[in-house]
Amino acid sequence: MKLKGGTSLWIGGGLVFIAIAAALAAPLIALTDPVLDANLMNAEIPPGWDFPFGTDAQGRDIYSRIVYGARVSLTVGIASQILNSLIGVTLGLTAGYWGGWWDDLVSGLTNLMLAIPSLVFALAIMAILGPGLVSLVIALGLTSWSYSCRITRAQVLSLKSQGYVQAAQVLGYGDLRIMFTQVLPNILGPLIVIATLGMGGAILAEAALSFLGLGIRPPFPSWGSMLSEARDQIRTVPWLSVFPGLAIFLTVLGLNLLGDGLRDILDPQSTSRRA
Amino acid sequence: MLAVLARRLANVVPTLLAVVALVFLLFSVLPGSFISGMNEDGRSTIDPAVMERMRKEMGLDDPLPQRFAKYVAHTAVGDLGTSFRTREPVTRLIGARIWPSLKLVFAAMTFAIAVGVTLGFLAALKPGSLIDTISMVGAISGLSLSQFWFGLMLMYLFALTLGWLPSFGYGDGGLRYLILPAVALGVGPMALLARTTRAAVLDVLNADFVRTARSKGMSERLVVKWHVLRNALVLVVTIVGLQFGSLMGQAVVVEKLFSWPGVGSLLVDSVFQRDMPAVQGCILMIVLFFLVINTLVDMAYVAIDPRIRYR
Amino acid sequence: MRKLLWLAAALALSGAGLAQAQDTPRKGGSVRMTAPYAASFGSFDPHTTPRAQDDIVNKALHRTLYNWDTANSKLVLELAKSVSASPDGLTYTYKLRDDAYFHNGRKMTADDVIWSFIRIMDGKKGYPAARYVRIIKGAVEVEKGQATTISGLRKIDDYTLEMTLTDRVDPGYYFFSGTTAILPKEEAEKPDFGSHPVGLGPFKFKEHIPGSRVVLERFDKFYKPGKPYLDKLEVLIMAEAAARDVAFRNKEIDTSILGPAQYVAYKADPELSKGILEVPEMFTRAMTFNHSVKPFDNKKVRQAVNYAIDSNLIIKRLVKDKAYRAVSWLPPSSAAFDKTAKPYPYDPDKAKKLLAEAGLPNGFEFELTTSQNESWGLPIVEAIIPMLGKVGIKLKPKLVEVTVLTEIAMKGEHQAYIGSNLTGPDSLATLRCYYSKTPRTACNYTGYSNPAYDKLLDDAAQQSDPAKRDELLKQANNVLYEDAPVWFFNYNKAVLAYQPWVHGLQANPTEITHQYPEDIWVDSRSPAK
Repeated sequence: MKLKGGTSLWIGGGLVFIAIAAALAAPLIALTDPVLDANLMNAEIPPGWDFPFGTDAQGRDIYSRIVYGARVSLTVGIASQILNSLIGVTLGLTAGYWGGWWDDLVSGLTNLMLAIPSLVFALAIMAILGPGLVSLVIALGLTSWSYSCRITRAQVLSLKSQGYVQAAQVLGYGDLRIMFTQVLPNILGPLIVIATLGMGGAILAEAALSFLGLGIRPPFPSWGSMLSEARDQIRTVPWLSVFPGLAIFLTVLGLNLLGDGLRDILDPQSTSRRA
Repeated sequence: MLAVLARRLANVVPTLLAVVALVFLLFSVLPGSFISGMNEDGRSTIDPAVMERMRKEMGLDDPLPQRFAKYVAHTAVGDLGTSFRTREPVTRLIGARIWPSLKLVFAAMTFAIAVGVTLGFLAALKPGSLIDTISMVGAISGLSLSQFWFGLMLMYLFALTLGWLPSFGYGDGGLRYLILPAVALGVGPMALLARTTRAAVLDVLNADFVRTARSKGMSERLVVKWHVLRNALVLVVTIVGLQFGSLMGQAVVVEKLFSWPGVGSLLVDSVFQRDMPAVQGCILMIVLFFLVINTLVDMAYVAIDPRIRYR
Repeated sequence: MRKLLWLAAALALSGAGLAQAQDTPRKGGSVRMTAPYAASFGSFDPHTTPRAQDDIVNKALHRTLYNWDTANSKLVLELAKSVSASPDGLTYTYKLRDDAYFHNGRKMTADDVIWSFIRIMDGKKGYPAARYVRIIKGAVEVEKGQATTISGLRKIDDYTLEMTLTDRVDPGYYFFSGTTAILPKEEAEKPDFGSHPVGLGPFKFKEHIPGSRVVLERFDKFYKPGKPYLDKLEVLIMAEAAARDVAFRNKEIDTSILGPAQYVAYKADPELSKGILEVPEMFTRAMTFNHSVKPFDNKKVRQAVNYAIDSNLIIKRLVKDKAYRAVSWLPPSSAAFDKTAKPYPYDPDKAKKLLAEAGLPNGFEFELTTSQNESWGLPIVEAIIPMLGKVGIKLKPKLVEVTVLTEIAMKGEHQAYIGSNLTGPDSLATLRCYYSKTPRTACNYTGYSNPAYDKLLDDAAQQSDPAKRDELLKQANNVLYEDAPVWFFNYNKAVLAYQPWVHGLQANPTEITHQYPEDIWVDSRSPAK
């Protein structure tokens, strides 16, 4: 389903732009330091003039923590998708190109990845690597490369079947050159769409992992860990439940709309409808 | 039909084995601390020399291939090892929690199908109307939603503010306790099903429209409807099958949110406790369930449309 | 002010006790207690598990040589009728009960005590009670495999037992712990004993649903006449405070440990506030510094931390007053507690001055290991960070599981960690943790060493007059205050909510969930069958 014309593109793009801007400009637009400016005398104040989103049980300004939390979410989102694409494209390219036992191995690996729910796998990896930003990026980057791998491989096979590859080889082009000049331009469009939609998924996953306590740990703000605090304090600080979730929702919505809009432009025949 | 089943099952076993290997390898990198089972609230102390002796007894110092072989052998007969934390067999630990997890996942999927398909249907019948827009906006929102945030909001509204439903826990197993977690979990798949159903039904209607223009007669229209409806059903089944995977993952978080005593919350608790046998066991259970569902979905395909063939 | 509070609390408690004594106990009915510390039970074999959660059930199933008499705040004999000590204070002769039956019908004899203690000293098993039984002469040899019987335990006849110790201590402190329970050999040796226990307690085992509950029923041959009053005792597992809150309000459970948030809510509720049992537990929460890590070897730095943190504010705002401000190491229930001492005041300027004097005018950085615990873990650390930040100390939190904390402390891998420490009921044993010869693996997690302090403890151990001994211990406790080996945070206030029809609960300061269930009864208002 699409909204009329390029609406999804504009709305999505707008939301994403706000999120990125907030993350980059955090020190400028935040009111306080998210960790050090905690004053127990200010604890549990509802949203108002001094504190637009209220304060939490530690006396910290929620608005400032949300703004800083954007940094975490977006960093994890972008970095993990870059990792994702790198792995997926490399595997897909080589699998499609060389075929043989390598192709079988990659296909087997892809099937294996699809057999384990990605959040569970990410959880397992986080359990081993320990909490933190880097572990999150690695864990999320390692768990969802199957889609980019698939389309890259499909693209390579399609080019092969159309004879482009053989033609280039006859002309004396090296393998790498062929991959870069023939294959990549054709998959760039779908890849961008996948990465954009994947970013939304990564942000949701980061929130889930931080909520469980395996991602970003307190006292540093992350939208997911703030929701975990909100749950424990739901009777005393109910407004804490609203804002981090809203931030996640709007950012991911923006990414989804943007991805949908980009798909119309870059990949019109796509049948891949990924959640 | 049976040949298909046999082929699918043949696929399941090597996949499961590969997952077992993967999980085992991953966790051998960081052996759990069985010492954590000895202490509670950080209060007691055990002589370190004694702990060393116990490590040897539990075979935690054997070489890797040996431990793996033992693990596979035990798993094959259903012995998933002993929990570091509670000293119970892991199988018993997990067994107590399978039923709540199953209830949750199936309830969520039922909710998703019932509401999602209905919404998609209604939206398709009146394209461009208010219902259509609202449903579709709701649908795309559902996809962007953090399921545990949605659950938290539901909890706050229905349990704490209005007091209509219990805020968490399994309680006595009654339906009231299942509602909020199932809705929270099912909202994602519901959104996707709504979108897909709408698209599929619109196709049906368009094809029908063209057909009607030719006025060939009732029976043919019915036949057409039946075929296209079957394709739509296939689509729904596909989505359901695909979504079960992410549902199992999200169930982990929803279970933790609502203190639902399922396999997912056990997994999270065990990870924190460094109870490696329990973690391995949980992951295995989840993957096994997922593979079973996939096999069932494939069987459903064949049942719906015997012409469908696949490798 | 503090004195007034203590007086008021004591009066209130005794008043409550008086009110309960006026009702006559009713025989019958059942009580549903809750086990709040973990998501499951470990084992009902009391020798194998030190866990507070398991002890809740094991206090009903099993018995130990001594019990803790909460009403009089002292140890009393349980499985023995009398005891006499030799003049040198090393040999104790017990006249055991001849009316104690195991749940399988057999009478307990001296052989059972001896067998139980030998079992505990099995060197291959690492039973937690070994640290207590080690006090008996000859126990260490059994542990090392050099002997098969404990030479210090001698059976005089079926009901008379002679115990010789290696040290002049009161054996009561060692043998009231649930892990030293007396078990029947023929049952304990069965492989499923941990899940089908047989003991000397007032209740016998009925069933266990893992992850959910344990059901016990009255043992009619229990040696206290007329007790237990209850027909049935259920212990339900409910680790989440919020879950217990809901169940308690729905009258589905009879007792519930309250966390800070619920404490506030229940105190404010006119009905619920009538059923709250509060007791200062013998636990001191503190930030333990590792003295072998600079700059914590410098007393001024440690004192600076004590001045820099506004502990009262934290207790008021975060812990919601569910704790008592700590003055020094010993809790107020200790006889050696100095009632005139004042805690460190909040004085960030003084803290900065002390840091400058210690040669750290710009502060320093350190890593604090902590758990998730809501009363003495991460939330407290989050509040401390800005306070220390103001005086230039940068704190990096390191989050670990609670069960791992002790490991870390024992290995000395920490720079500092924040935890809850058992500080009773034996004050001498508690203060021994700061004795220089006590190894890190025992409980000297700071690595503290002060000859003047050692001397005070040595003198106290030799002193047989309890009043003089307490005086020496009080002085030692004050030395600790001055030297500040840790940041003194608070003493736990254990809060138990109970339904109006429940009577006979004890305000046990060693652990409020460890109730001796033979004294509990319910009146006719109880809905449980």
